[in-house]
Formats: sequence, C-alpha cells, structure tokens
Amino acid sequence: MRRGRSALATAGVWLALGVVLVYILGPLVFMVTASLMPAMEVTRIPYRWIPQSFHWQNFWQAIRGNDGRFFFVRNMVNSLFLATAITLSTVVLSTITGYGLAKFRFRGRKAVMLLIVATMMIPFQVVMIPLYIIATSLGMQNSYAGLVVPFLVNAFGVFLMRQYLLTFPDEILDAARIDGASEVQILWRVVFPSSWPAIATLAILTFRSQWDNLIWPLLIAQSREMQTIPLYITLFAEEKFTDEGAMMATAVLASIPMVLLFFGLSRYFVGGARLFSAQKG
Amino acid sequence: MFFGLFSIYPVLNALYLSFFQKHLLSTAAPRFIGFGNYQYLFQSPTFWNSLTVTGIFTGGTFAMLVGLSLVLALFISSRKRFQRFLQLAFFSPAVVSTVVAAAIWLLIFDPRGIANQLVNTLAGTPGVDRRWLVAPSMLQLATMLVYVWKYVGYFTIIFIAGISSIPRSLVEAARVDGASVWQTFWKVTFPLLKPTTLLVSVVAMIQCLRTFSTQYLFSQAGSPRGPIDVITLNVYHTAVRTFQIGRASALSIILFAIMLFLSWLQFRVARSEEVSYL
Repeated sequence: MRRGRSALATAGVWLALGVVLVYILGPLVFMVTASLMPAMEVTRIPYRWIPQSFHWQNFWQAIRGNDGRFFFVRNMVNSLFLATAITLSTVVLSTITGYGLAKFRFRGRKAVMLLIVATMMIPFQVVMIPLYIIATSLGMQNSYAGLVVPFLVNAFGVFLMRQYLLTFPDEILDAARIDGASEVQILWRVVFPSSWPAIATLAILTFRSQWDNLIWPLLIAQSREMQTIPLYITLFAEEKFTDEGAMMATAVLASIPMVLLFFGLSRYFVGGARLFSAQKG
Repeated sequence: MFFGLFSIYPVLNALYLSFFQKHLLSTAAPRFIGFGNYQYLFQSPTFWNSLTVTGIFTGGTFAMLVGLSLVLALFISSRKRFQRFLQLAFFSPAVVSTVVAAAIWLLIFDPRGIANQLVNTLAGTPGVDRRWLVAPSMLQLATMLVYVWKYVGYFTIIFIAGISSIPRSLVEAARVDGASVWQTFWKVTFPLLKPTTLLVSVVAMIQCLRTFSTQYLFSQAGSPRGPIDVITLNVYHTAVRTFQIGRASALSIILFAIMLFLSWLQFRVARSEEVSYL
C-alpha cells in the first residue's frame, strides 16, 4: 500500500520534472530545428520538430542579411572584439587591483574596499544616462572607445580577485621577493598563473555579460557598422516580413561563441554561480 | 580613480541631473528646476504605469524564479544519478544571450507558434489565438516566462551549492527521529538554507528590476509597449526618443531607490526571523 503510494509520488515528481525539462530545453531545440527550416515550415501547425530537409540557405541568409550587405559579419567581429577586449582588460586590471588590495597595507585601504563593494550594488541602468553624456561630450559616440571604455574594469571583478588572492600564501610572494623578483614580475609570473580558477570564472562572466549587452550599444552605436550582435538580432526581429528560419539561424550563429565557451569551460561557468554564493553566504 | 570616474561620479551626476531640465541635443545650459522632474513624473500616467508594470513583472518573475529554482535544487540534490546532467540542462538557457532568448520566444509566441499549439492541444480548443504578444496580461506573462526560462538554472545552481553545504547528518538525524520529508524540509533544510535564500532573493529581485532586453525586443517587434513598459525601458525612451535627460535621470534614481529599499527590506526580514539552531 505504502510502496504503491510512494511509487505514484515518484512518478508524479518525475512527470513534473519532465514538464520543466521540456519548458527549459524545448525552446533551445526549437531554435536549432527552426534554423534549418524554410519560413513556411517554422510556422506550420502543428510544428514538426524534425526538419523535413535541411534548409541550409537560412544560414547564408543570416550572414548575408536581408539587405545583402553582410552587416552580420561586421557586427559579429565587433561583438567578438569588444567582448574580448573588455574581458582582457577586466581580468588584468582586476587582478592587479585585487592583488594590491589583498596583499598591501596602505592608508585608506578599507575605504577603497568599501567604495568598491558599494559600487557593486549600483546597477548599470542607473549610471547609464550620465555615462552617455560623458561619452558624447568626449566625442566617443559611435566609436569603439565609447563602447569599450565604461567597462574596462568593474567592481565585481576587483572584489572577486581580491577575495581569491586573500587566501594566496604570503610565503610564496616573500620567497619570490627574496629571489629578487620585482613586483611586476611577481604579478606576471606568480600571481597570474596561480589564479587561473578565479580568472577563468571572471573572464567567462565578463565575456558573457558583454556578449549580452544591448542597452549600451543601443545608446552609443548609431551606424550599422558599429553595432553589435544583440543589436543585429533586434533589427532582424523588427523587420516586418522577416524570414523566421533565417532569424533562428542568426540566433544559432550568435550563440556559437558562448556554446564553445560553455563546453570548453563549463566547470567555471557553473563555478561562477557557486563562487558567488560562497563569498556572500 | 577609475571607479571614481565611471561609477561614483555618474551616480552623483545622475542625482544632480535629475534636478535639471535638460534636452539632450540643446546646447543651452541645463536649467535648475529642483524637484520639477520628480513632480512631473509623479503626475505622469506613464510613470505610474511603468511602476505598476515593473511591480507586476518583478513580483511574478521573482516568485516563479525563487520557487522553481528552490524546488529544482531540492530535487536535483536528492538524486544520486543524473545530477550533473540535470544541472547542465537547467543551466543551458544561460548560454544563449538575452536577445537570442527573446527572439526564440518571439517565434514561440507567434500566433501560429508553439505556445498557442500547446495550450490549444491541452485545452482541446484547436485554432484559438491566445494573443500572447498583444493582450496586455498575456504579454506580461510572456515576458515573465522568457525571464524565468533564462535564469532559473543559475539560481538552481546557487541553491544546490547552499544545500550541499548543509551537513547531511542533520537531515538524516531528523529523518531517523521520525520527521516526514515535508517536516524535515520546513524545520531543518529551509532554516539552514536561509543565507542562500536571502542571497538568491536579493540577486533575483535586482535582476528582475533591471530587465530590459526582452521588453525592448518585444516592443520593437510590434507588441504594444504599455503593458511591458518597465522602468528601464521607460528610461531608455525618455532619454533617447524624447531627449529628456533630466527626467530620465530622475527615473533611474527612483529605480535605484526602489532597489535599495527592497534589498534593505529583505535583509531586515531575514534578520528578524533569525533563529539559532545550535
């Protein structure tokens, strides 16, 4: 009797889980399958989850763009360039600053730390307008500088690296100093190589948030040459008679860099969330 | 220095600007109007609409996100097999960017899309259009579903980390003492999970308040803006479409104040309930 009930409960739990799994994975499967279908088939009722034939033209259409001017390529390069540049600078600057804050005692260190933690709380949307005015007054509108500069380093990165480096043994640093290494050498030869887990996590988080960034390029990049992939997709979706298959092909192409990162470094992806909870909790 | 320039200064500047009337394109010096911008906002129906809409979105999304991710985390951590697979599966939407997510769901909510087909199959009403992207409440529900879809895996993982830090012996002791699964959860796991819950709820709430991409893409693709005109979208429109920089600043300051207030509230609630279990 009791066993029968618990078996039923287990079945119920698995069923519920199945529903949630479909909710989570369904749209992703839809994206991939629809990217291989002609528009007629994407909106067919009922939807066929398996494409009848592979309609590879969608990808060509996605790259070519509806106006045939290949802005996709240009915007993809922009996005990759911006995200990479910002990630590099964030990692390097955060590590240097974090190292300084974790390992050196100087006046006002506490105040700096407090400032950084306070800054972490401020959402971008709040500072966006003043930043926009600064950027326009510096003539950074519609330029790579305008797109990159506000994000060169962020408080979260400094905080993360500092927390990580606090646990870094001082003995190793002292040993390096005794061996005659300069601070720059220590940073480059000792601190960077041994902070790999934290750096990888920070790099992924930064890259992802930049890859996602829509609102800032929306403000700054006016010409299509300067735009990024999120903007490209928005423009694609805005068009009245957009080809649904091609739209999903664009989505698939735009996801490739993140998917590669995810499979290459999924440990750090998931680790990011964990690390985040560990330091706050 | 860098922070000074790019974080602190803009906040102060936003506060400062919010007291001025400034047109983005005009070269005239900003005119000081005190609380004029705030006064204007409090009298403007679009502001109240934004506030309500943000409230609905945040409330709904927040509840779904925290509830669902907690349940999923409890389930996943109680399994021995498939743990890693399930974690990665739920996390996978985080890989696609917000804009891509919105674009996928845009097609799913299409009148001829899967959402209608699914609902109609379940309800046995073929051919009915649920107007996902047109009817105000459906549109709000649609944006919530996109958001929950995108972020639920992230919070699930945070919860799983929290659960795994609870000593197994405590849970087992409770079970041996005859507590049911239900009791064990409410009396042992949940209280011990409180720091994690607090973290998740603060982060989730701020995330929800910051939502922009989904609403932007949906409204650009032809949905009515009113029901999804969240504060961030309103800031964008006020600043970029009508060039009222001062007013947009005032709006963003209000958003910030709401975030601070709600975070503070959550910390307060969490602290007042704090009970020692040792």
